[in-house]
Amino acid sequence: MRHNDKVNNNTALGLDVGTSRVCLAERSGEGFQYETQLNAFVNIPYSKMTEGVLKKEKVPHTVNGTEIVVHGNESDRFADLLNVETRRTMSKGVLNPAEPDSLSMIRKIVESLLDPSKDRQKLCFTVPAAPLGAEENLTYHEATIRQILSDMGYEVKSINEGLAVVYSELESSNYTGIGISCGGGLCNVCLAYLSVPVLSFSIPKAGDYIDNNTATVTGERSNRVRIVKEDSFHLNGFFADKLQQVLGVYYDEMIQSLVNGMKQAFSNSRSLPKSGRNLPIVLSGGTALPEGFRDRFEKIFSEAELPITATEIRLAADPLHSSAKGALVAALADL
Amino acid sequence: MPFITRNLIAWRAKRIEDPVARLRYLQQKAGPSPYGKKWRVVAGLLLIGCVLIPGYKLANTKERAFLPITRVSAAGVDIFTNVWLVDKTQDFETYSNGLRIDNRYAVPNEPRVPYPVYPRAALDASRPESRSQPAGIVFHTTESDQAAFEADQNKKLKRIGEEVLGFVKRNHCYHFLIDRFGQVFRIVQESDLANHSGNSVWADDHVVYVNLNASFFGIAFETQTQKGQDLPSATAAQVHSARVLTQMLRGKYRIPAANCVTHAQVSVNPSNMLVGYHTDWSGNFPFLELGLNDNYTAPPAAIAAFGFDYDPTFVHATGARIWQGLGLAEDQIRSEAAAQGLPVPQYRSILQKKYKEIIAALKASAKEKSHAT
Repeated sequence: MRHNDKVNNNTALGLDVGTSRVCLAERSGEGFQYETQLNAFVNIPYSKMTEGVLKKEKVPHTVNGTEIVVHGNESDRFADLLNVETRRTMSKGVLNPAEPDSLSMIRKIVESLLDPSKDRQKLCFTVPAAPLGAEENLTYHEATIRQILSDMGYEVKSINEGLAVVYSELESSNYTGIGISCGGGLCNVCLAYLSVPVLSFSIPKAGDYIDNNTATVTGERSNRVRIVKEDSFHLNGFFADKLQQVLGVYYDEMIQSLVNGMKQAFSNSRSLPKSGRNLPIVLSGGTALPEGFRDRFEKIFSEAELPITATEIRLAADPLHSSAKGALVAALADL
Repeated sequence: MPFITRNLIAWRAKRIEDPVARLRYLQQKAGPSPYGKKWRVVAGLLLIGCVLIPGYKLANTKERAFLPITRVSAAGVDIFTNVWLVDKTQDFETYSNGLRIDNRYAVPNEPRVPYPVYPRAALDASRPESRSQPAGIVFHTTESDQAAFEADQNKKLKRIGEEVLGFVKRNHCYHFLIDRFGQVFRIVQESDLANHSGNSVWADDHVVYVNLNASFFGIAFETQTQKGQDLPSATAAQVHSARVLTQMLRGKYRIPAANCVTHAQVSVNPSNMLVGYHTDWSGNFPFLELGLNDNYTAPPAAIAAFGFDYDPTFVHATGARIWQGLGLAEDQIRSEAAAQGLPVPQYRSILQKKYKEIIAALKASAKEKSHAT
């Protein structure tokens, strides 16, 4: 019976293709379940013994001549052990143009989460919005991910990442409000009205920006900065050490840029609803996780005098998975 | 979008509990038109022009393909449990899921013969498909006298129960009856028809079923419907027995959850073309407790497929759960009428005509059979 249950439940899937992580969402009974892989890889020297150990431990890897490429979640651990940086398939929300193996590795990472579909299952994946004030250049990224998933047999559609947050979190307001996903490469913002995206944009300052700049100032590796940030950082005004203090500075700058971007976008937009400019705002994504993030955002937002007011500003119920859940909800609605 | 329309959409959406169904509804209603405003104005003027030209008729309204009924309940998961007969005596059957059926009141009736169903894509009285397996379950209430469910009322409870059993046996009313103690009695054999749903309509994603005595099982709870009552008018023992009985029947005949419905959802009155002639289980049926989807959220097929209407009496007699389905069926009629370029009343009358043609064909076929025998 369990087998039948799994087969029948998987009527649709949601995939959040983020700069930092790739997250798969699927229905599980009345709820949802998620599986995440780090969107990164690391090369280690080949030896028969290393390959044997990786196989035994079921670590996702590929042998490539004299090297073994470890991808997904385990890449972080190996990079830390070997004191090297992980390589990233994506940068600033799209496929990394500086990474020659980006295409093959993102395919491997996606394949480690998804089995090929035999019956054209619906799958909805997230794409970023165009950066504010910059030319839209997302076609290649979107087409490539679409191709990878179509090759695996899925019936694919894409959804703006900010809109996915709205679909995941703002059911109570009839999918009206602002969804913000603060990820690794970008912060994506989408204002939706009765489920229809009215305005969306991204800003290129997010988790990676914070990590890289903090690493430069402190002399640490970005990888380590990220681990510290995810493990113990909080935005409560008291910093235990220099690394945390520098992280706080860059977090502030990122939030300031995000709110400025919202002010600019909403002030220039003619498509904002004339009435009902009191909207709920939901913050999600790994970069929104540190304690105090919501309060800091609320403070900067309230000082910025935007043409909209927030009826509430809250953190998503499950910030790491809300984009994937929203993509799944969009796929289910398309059934 | 006009203020009133926007608020109406938002209000309707709020009544849809399932987040996916709500999103689907909003995307359908509030989604941007693929064409610009200007084109909408031009299209509107053209449509008005067409309507005003004397003798203008939109081509072939009779032959249009009708869309399948929109699925509005949560994505259905049909899991069929393998339930088998463990033991059988002359009077009792015991099943592997704990179900126990008492056969002492079982009677034969007219055997089930192949019955017609009508594909949604081509709803045509002259082109039915034929089915022979039971396709669904209609849940009823006996609406019989009720004694308080207390130990000191035991004698009275048993007496009423036996009287009800005698009545339904004489009239071949249902396939099964569940008394107030949760005892399951077989009335009409599974292979035969029972008189339980008379004038009725239901549809799944593929076909429409008309007059469900031929195609659906009837299961009755010995109980009375209470108006406006939210809690099931059934004892815990009845709910448990209904669950295991439904599980057995669904497993045995591969009956989809979407086809397990209440009498109030399927009953129609052809004389005034209104739904809800019978209103048993009109708002508080324990779908979820029986392991089924909440089918109240599905639009009544009689409205969506055959243009039936409902009146304030029906709304008053039913609960908020069934109103969701009513609202969605109305929306569906409006959308499809708009898609066909017809005013709603005209579109509704086309659907009603199809129903009348089907009923006429069914009557003719029954007459033919009676002559043959």
